[in-house]
Amino acid sequence: MQLIWNGLIVGSFYALVALGYSMVYGIIKLLNFAHGDIYMLGAFVGFFTLSAFGISNETSIPLLLVIMLLSMVTTGLIGVGIERIAYRPLRNSPRLAVLITAIGVSFTLEYGVRQLFGPNPEAFPIRLESSGFDVLGMRITASQLVLVVIAAVLMLVLAHIVERTSQGRAMRAIALDPQGAQLMGVNVNRVIATVFFIGSALAGAAGVMAGAYYGSIDFLMGFIIGLKAFTAAVIGGIGNLYGAMLGGLLLGLLESFGSAWFGGEWRDVFSFAFLILFLTFKPTGLLGARVVERM
Amino acid sequence: MSHAPRRRTRLLQFAAAASLVIATAGCSGGLGGGGSDSGSDEGPIKFGMLAPFSGSESAFGDYMKNGAQLAVNELNADGGVLGRDLELVVEDDACDATTAVAGANKLVTDGVVASVGGYCSGATLPTLPIFDEAGIPMVIPAANSNELVEQQLPGVFLINGTGTQQALAAVTYSEKIGAKTVAAIDDATAYSADLAASFVEQATDAGLDVAFEATITPGENDYSAVATQLANEQPDLVYWTGYYQEGGLIARQAKDAGFDGVFLVGDGSVDAKFAEIAGKGYTENVVGTFTQTPDMIEGADQWIADYTELAGAAPGPYSTQSYDAVRVMAQAIEDAGSTDFDKVVAGLEGLKDFDTFAGPLTFTDDHTLSGGGFVIVAIDPATGAFVLKDDLQD
Repeated sequence: MQLIWNGLIVGSFYALVALGYSMVYGIIKLLNFAHGDIYMLGAFVGFFTLSAFGISNETSIPLLLVIMLLSMVTTGLIGVGIERIAYRPLRNSPRLAVLITAIGVSFTLEYGVRQLFGPNPEAFPIRLESSGFDVLGMRITASQLVLVVIAAVLMLVLAHIVERTSQGRAMRAIALDPQGAQLMGVNVNRVIATVFFIGSALAGAAGVMAGAYYGSIDFLMGFIIGLKAFTAAVIGGIGNLYGAMLGGLLLGLLESFGSAWFGGEWRDVFSFAFLILFLTFKPTGLLGARVVERM
Repeated sequence: MSHAPRRRTRLLQFAAAASLVIATAGCSGGLGGGGSDSGSDEGPIKFGMLAPFSGSESAFGDYMKNGAQLAVNELNADGGVLGRDLELVVEDDACDATTAVAGANKLVTDGVVASVGGYCSGATLPTLPIFDEAGIPMVIPAANSNELVEQQLPGVFLINGTGTQQALAAVTYSEKIGAKTVAAIDDATAYSADLAASFVEQATDAGLDVAFEATITPGENDYSAVATQLANEQPDLVYWTGYYQEGGLIARQAKDAGFDGVFLVGDGSVDAKFAEIAGKGYTENVVGTFTQTPDMIEGADQWIADYTELAGAAPGPYSTQSYDAVRVMAQAIEDAGSTDFDKVVAGLEGLKDFDTFAGPLTFTDDHTLSGGGFVIVAIDPATGAFVLKDDLQD
């Protein structure tokens, strides 16, 4: 039971980051390798804001929510900026060129943050209260509950936007057929910018949550989680939103059980081996059959 | 010195120690002619230092550089070495083998005659043959994996206690607090795995029960697997041998999971950041094995003031060891009357009770310290800094 709970916690981080990956891929077929670094930026925006106000070692949930919203807006705008500067001029270039650009963006963000904040890990100024209680043989802490609730709320909001709003309909239309959507009067650039905003905001929120939960942030923290989120997106079926959520949670569980069985040092081997297995035997992922239609 | 034996049996080590020194001495006499003209007889004597200035361990680079620079400044003020000024040349090793090898080659072409660097064992190890072939003796201030001396290269000296000595301090402390079961967690780097293995070996010899050994991957924030294992097994003491970033996270997550034993950390985790990362209320049971730092040493006030004036910041871990490395090397060159490899090595081997921060220094036959100088430190709840708890002297 404890393993399941541990897996769900990590999985909700993966799922939040994987959503952005999956949305961007679904709509413009770009593997945005800089996405993990947006997560890192979210954590640093929170860190910077809190330090600027001289706040340290707080345990307040409202404060966390405020900071999270702020980071979401900031990283959302940064995501839009990245799309405008680095990806849009290349939209009609070969896929490989854009992929390489994404890697360049990733390094730019990582080492830019390193220049600004220095290379050392920083302690995140907000900490969630983590007195634990035992339920059904699981040890659950209050902070874990808060995180899972926040992650769930964010995902529900996103599902609502995509399924029920005109913006969402435009996104699905572009995913299906960009030229056709444009002919029908959809402002493609604006919709793509919206997708980047939402995806980056979710990653930023996950970054702040990771900061508050784990307590330590550093400029390379986005790298591994970026790859894991990519794996999660592939497992779920890249381009599919529910697939990204499912894949994230599933990957978290796989890792939790994998490291319990084989030892913690095998955790990454285990999860990336799954990536290879999926790409080999079911490249469309678990929910990938309807990949384009569901965006 | 490609012919130097690489096998590492104890027997061989003892049997070969004497003959090896002679054999390689003959060899590097020939090599030395080629090697040592990189360091010319004109201009300053250059000491090279590889240390991490980037990457996760980059905080330590400045601590080491400034400590070494302070020693260089003091020696130059006293007239230098062999009547020539000393100059410190630093290169970044990023705690990474590839970067370290590039840096070592750069130092060799820069014409350094001695190396006084080395922080991460995993990055220092591949630089040994480079310095060895160039005829450059090394006094390694921080890296302390047994692997470093097991290469049996004649020019390699450690002035930080080895993993074996540090692990012994950990076992001594475990016994002292009456621990029956212990566990070890490492991060798969050379330094960390070595220290953990050595701890497990010596703990078993001392009759302690080893509950489990685990290895984690650095850079991931989630260590719930090992935290859960700690909570289930409940050893009296766990020895974490990696660095502070993961250490702080594991200490926190282990306590959240319900582990309430002693969390002992190795010297790589002894840093004020540990408490910050672990967070308030997570440091009561945290202690560390550590070589003394200036703030734990009585009568170092003047040294700390000098350092602070030079660096614009307080000294940190390995500042004193780096300071001492420069002084030890300078003394050996002064005694040798030359920067020739063999003579300097003989000078280092001949040092007797040389005064350092870690006490009087004499090298053993395998070029490590005769005394480990390890102490137990604990976190001061008010400041989060590690302070002396037990000097293990009784």
